[in-house]
Amino acid sequence: MSLYEKLGGEPAIDAAVDIFYRKVLSNDRISQFFESTDMEAQHAKQKAFMTMAFGGPNNYTGKDMREAHKGMKLNDDHFNAVAEELVATLNELKVPQELIDEVVAIVSGAKGDVLNK
Amino acid sequence: MTDIAFEDKHLTLEEGETVLDTLLRAGYDIPNGCRAGICQSCIMKSDASEEIAHAQVGLSDAQKTLKYFLSCRCLPSSKINVQRISLSSQQTNAEVIDVSMLNETVIRLRLKASIDYHAGQYLTLWKDGRIARCYSLASHPTLNDYLELHVKYIKGGEFSAWLRSDVRVGDIMKIQGPFGKCIYAGEKEQPLLLLAIGTGLSPIFGILQDAIAKKHQGKIHIVVGARSKENFYLVEELQKIAAQNKSISLTYIYQEETNTDTITAQNNTDFASKGDIYQYCKERFDNLKGYRVFICGAESFCKKMRKQCFLEGADMNAISVDSFISFTEEKTEG
Repeated sequence: MSLYEKLGGEPAIDAAVDIFYRKVLSNDRISQFFESTDMEAQHAKQKAFMTMAFGGPNNYTGKDMREAHKGMKLNDDHFNAVAEELVATLNELKVPQELIDEVVAIVSGAKGDVLNK
Repeated sequence: MTDIAFEDKHLTLEEGETVLDTLLRAGYDIPNGCRAGICQSCIMKSDASEEIAHAQVGLSDAQKTLKYFLSCRCLPSSKINVQRISLSSQQTNAEVIDVSMLNETVIRLRLKASIDYHAGQYLTLWKDGRIARCYSLASHPTLNDYLELHVKYIKGGEFSAWLRSDVRVGDIMKIQGPFGKCIYAGEKEQPLLLLAIGTGLSPIFGILQDAIAKKHQGKIHIVVGARSKENFYLVEELQKIAAQNKSISLTYIYQEETNTDTITAQNNTDFASKGDIYQYCKERFDNLKGYRVFICGAESFCKKMRKQCFLEGADMNAISVDSFISFTEEKTEG
């Protein structure tokens, strides 16, 4: 069983994405990056991100990651804040710690691309 | 280099230009309105399916099958051929049966036309086949035998001033649509929150009528906002509906006093209170989990309110928004 299946697949993401998006919008360290005229489009992006983080089927490539975050002047603190909110979301949903650890490992793997390092 | 093949010519798209931008820059007369993918006045056709897919949001399946797309939204990444389509194939003739002022700034337009629509959807109206504007429907498809739209009158406004001064009962107006998905949906038992600012009341009125017609069981909270008290309209009609339904609550919030208000205040029962609509909603509806929320009116209002309602616990997919965007030249028609 893949991580994505263990976490509950798309229905689990649908349940988690609102909670996660609410958290990042309320976090002063990062909310500026998530405010957008088109909230629905932002919401869809959060869903795509979570699918990637859950090890699910996604179309993200390292190049896309770099391109999407280019010019945003992101630093370690921004990256950590998003990761923390993701972990807080999973905790809230009572996801077992070993699965959270796997999600964190996937997200950490994308750090270089996100920060354009 | 990205090329457009159009009427035996080859045009080159400049960085960041849409198909519509390029054609207009080259001097072609292409109908257009909102330039935001809302009004569908710039609809065109192309065989380059992959290049137009992203510019087909909001189109019907039939329109997609015909390879139509919105030229104002189309940013092709490779060579594309583009054709005009007959706009009249997208339009319906509507007969004007009423144009009247509901208050100082709101024009009520009633039209007779045979279109199938859902309450809360919007239409594109055409002035002289040249100027397109979108307005949301206040009427109900089975309760009313006319289409009703509330048009904010703007002095010197290209469309609204024309509508007020030149349009007469019996005139034929070209319309397009219906469009939009801000319509009554969801569970009959869940509480509804209907938020309107200005002529955002138009679609909210339609959605309310639909919820009642479909025998909505849950509470229905209506909050109507305006700059000043004199901007409210259809007050008696709404109060009557609210009085007949125990499950409906109706609140009017206005931003500021005007001189007129002070004068008329004595002969007016105090139906409205002064305040900040965001603050009011935040305090009264501090947990929107399980609610279905409808937000209609000016873009800035919709944006701020959507975020607030989402943060107060409403699910993203339980929030429907009809945001009145600015058309060229005119600021806030809707």
